[in-house]
Amino acid sequence: MTQTQASVRTNVVLGVVVVLVLGAATRFLEKNVPVWFEGDVAKAVEYPVYAIVLGLIGNAVLTATGWRERLEGGFRTEFFIKTGLVLLGASINLKVIVTAAGPAIIQGILLISSVFLFTWWLAGRLGLDDKLRALLSAAVSICGVSAAIAAAGAVQARKEQLAYTASLVIAFALPSIFLVPWLASVFGLTDEVAGAWIGGNIDTTAAVTAAGALVGEDALAVASIVKVTQNALIGVVVIALTAWFAFRVERAPGARAPGIGEFWTRFPKFVLGFVAASVIATWYLGTVSGAEGKEVIAVANDLRVWFLILAFVSIGLEFKVSSLREAGWRPVAVFASAAVLNLVLALGLALLLFSGFTV
Amino acid sequence: MTEPPTRQESRTQFNEDWAATLIGLVLLVLVIIGVIPPGLIP
Repeated sequence: MTQTQASVRTNVVLGVVVVLVLGAATRFLEKNVPVWFEGDVAKAVEYPVYAIVLGLIGNAVLTATGWRERLEGGFRTEFFIKTGLVLLGASINLKVIVTAAGPAIIQGILLISSVFLFTWWLAGRLGLDDKLRALLSAAVSICGVSAAIAAAGAVQARKEQLAYTASLVIAFALPSIFLVPWLASVFGLTDEVAGAWIGGNIDTTAAVTAAGALVGEDALAVASIVKVTQNALIGVVVIALTAWFAFRVERAPGARAPGIGEFWTRFPKFVLGFVAASVIATWYLGTVSGAEGKEVIAVANDLRVWFLILAFVSIGLEFKVSSLREAGWRPVAVFASAAVLNLVLALGLALLLFSGFTV
Repeated sequence: MTEPPTRQESRTQFNEDWAATLIGLVLLVLVIIGVIPPGLIP
């Protein structure tokens, strides 16, 4: 191993240590603030808020001291959120997943296709590069950063286009984490409809989980099922993009249509883990007494909260304003317009498909 | 001069998918068989 590789690894480990320390601080604040300050406000502030705020503070400190770029390899938002979601599967009965899957798939197909096509059209009208159009459309319509990464691979986008799209996703997701749960309570939505709205509207999976957790456990369950369904649909969109770019945009000589293998390569495997965890926990709960089962699943829930905290801290640490400034106003205008359409459509579909649904 | 394409990020993400699935399920099994008992997680 060369010295450079060794120092990169050391920095990744240091980055993970920073995330863990801020995660521990989040857990500490979550448990102690309601004890220190009596009153409803202190009790109402939950772990996603502490985690994101501490992440943003850590980001500011590391940026000011010149350490952020070096340590960012340890800010593994995607890994933490996916592990957290697999563990979340253990607290959702398989029957709930099966019942919610139908409306979630319908919502996913309608939302993804309309928001994707709108974004693609508007970005074209404003003269954006085709690859950036693809990234923005995938990010805003499917599942934020991970969809942008998958789309970037499919259309061979440039690194700076991916970094820019990821920053845009997080810039819009951060306020949504607080705005959508607040609007849901203003509109008097049930937890299930609020969860479906959050899962359908907010782009990035970590932010969906944070917003769902702010509303409550039932909202979190529905939001995560809806978002996991959208994640599962990435494969279809990526195949369509690969084919579209090969045959229509770049007209590569001898280009072959992507097959089922490509779909499997692009399929987010953690979706299988989420369902498998639900299967295992549903089976386990059928073999033990109610009290024992509850106590054991509570341990899995504690682990899940830890991984979600680490993901939320990482979101705050990863946020970068600099790449947003470089790309100008047009992509921001496209993303903002698509986000508003997504917000309205997702609310309509959540009311239509999830009214009367109970966890 | 443009940056190289983003195949690498794409590949890393798929590995993270499997890692998250494996670690999540292993932790769940450890909880169920009692290796991680109630009260251990702070």
